[in-house]
Amino acid sequence: MSLLELDGVGKRYGRLDRRTVLRDVSLAVESGEVVVIWGARRSGRSTLLRVAAGIETPDSGTVRFEGRDLRARPGATLGEGIGYCHRAFAARDGSPLLDQLTSGLIARGVPLATASRRASESLERVEIGAWARCRPEELDGGEAVRAAIARALTHSPRLLIIDEPTIDVDVLARDGVLALLHSLAQEGVAVLATTGESTSLSGARALTLSEGELHGPPARELAEVVALMPTG
Amino acid sequence: MQSAVHWALLGLVIERPSYGYELAQRFEQSYEGMLELSGFSYIYTALDTLRCRGLVEEIPGMGSERQPKLGYRATAEGVRDYQQRLIAQMREDFRRSRLFARQLAVLAGEPELALDVIESYGQACLEEAGDALLPEVEDVCADRGSGLAERLVSQERRLAMEARLPWVDYARREFKALAADRLQPQ
Repeated sequence: MSLLELDGVGKRYGRLDRRTVLRDVSLAVESGEVVVIWGARRSGRSTLLRVAAGIETPDSGTVRFEGRDLRARPGATLGEGIGYCHRAFAARDGSPLLDQLTSGLIARGVPLATASRRASESLERVEIGAWARCRPEELDGGEAVRAAIARALTHSPRLLIIDEPTIDVDVLARDGVLALLHSLAQEGVAVLATTGESTSLSGARALTLSEGELHGPPARELAEVVALMPTG
Repeated sequence: MQSAVHWALLGLVIERPSYGYELAQRFEQSYEGMLELSGFSYIYTALDTLRCRGLVEEIPGMGSERQPKLGYRATAEGVRDYQQRLIAQMREDFRRSRLFARQLAVLAGEPELALDVIESYGQACLEEAGDALLPEVEDVCADRGSGLAERLVSQERRLAMEARLPWVDYARREFKALAADRLQPQ
């Protein structure tokens, strides 16, 4: 059983023309691997992530996380196994970063002291601990992505789903964000990301999405295993 | 001079004057998986060819005093020809890309065949992009010269796909449209 399994997933939008966004998409993601889906604009890549995260239900096919069909409890696994990141940090208000992360945990019933500690640890983990007292609008693109990942990490996800993690990130900072995602995978977290940039595919199982159809190795055993960093 | 091995060897001599055995070792390290020597001794045949063409010259007495070796360094002509070869090689790559597109277009009457080719090409692009390593940022900061070849190769692989993946997407759409047209009743 794979950590995440999409089987024959289809999705259509629109009341009149019913545009097909995903067609018969099958994909398996295992713990500790990075899967990156390249796609042009309007290829369906963001929809695919929302369906994989259980935020949207597919019109056909099934999505299973740890063997459970996500359609049974839409959105229930968010924060409980699946961490979902928008392309940048979505601030709830103008309060400092640490408070933003802490309040999300308190809202889920985590005691204040524990919530504060977990929020600090997450910011440290993504290497922006020094920015804990900064307001979200003070962060640059790379820091904002790291903050978004930190917020997801406060819930200790086993699967991190992230939409275009490098799109608003300075060219020189992109590899740092990618290295962070790969380091999370080395700790056992599965990462499923989308991108419109081929440079983000390095070290990942890479697939393409074209007009809602997925191309590439749908499962790890069908892909070449590659090292993440130079060895020796 | 057509041999890619000869040009690659000339590049190594330009990088650093050296003697045969060391050049053979550096050749294997630098071009592993890209170019292959038929044997270690072939390096001497190739060096002799380069010398006859005036692209390298001999330096007697390289190595230690006890074991002096015959070394080689590049001539000014060798450096100039190497530079021109790199430019010509780049143009050859462009020509191959255009040729591939033209050869694919020939399959307009058989779009399903073309889509199979595009699928394989797309898969190769994904593997190429996925196999390319992330550069080690610490190394870049510590010493820009260290690992330069690996970083250049890695970035070339990563960025080349920036154009090829959208092209695969485009070509796939073109041939899918052709395939759909064929299914329409006349």
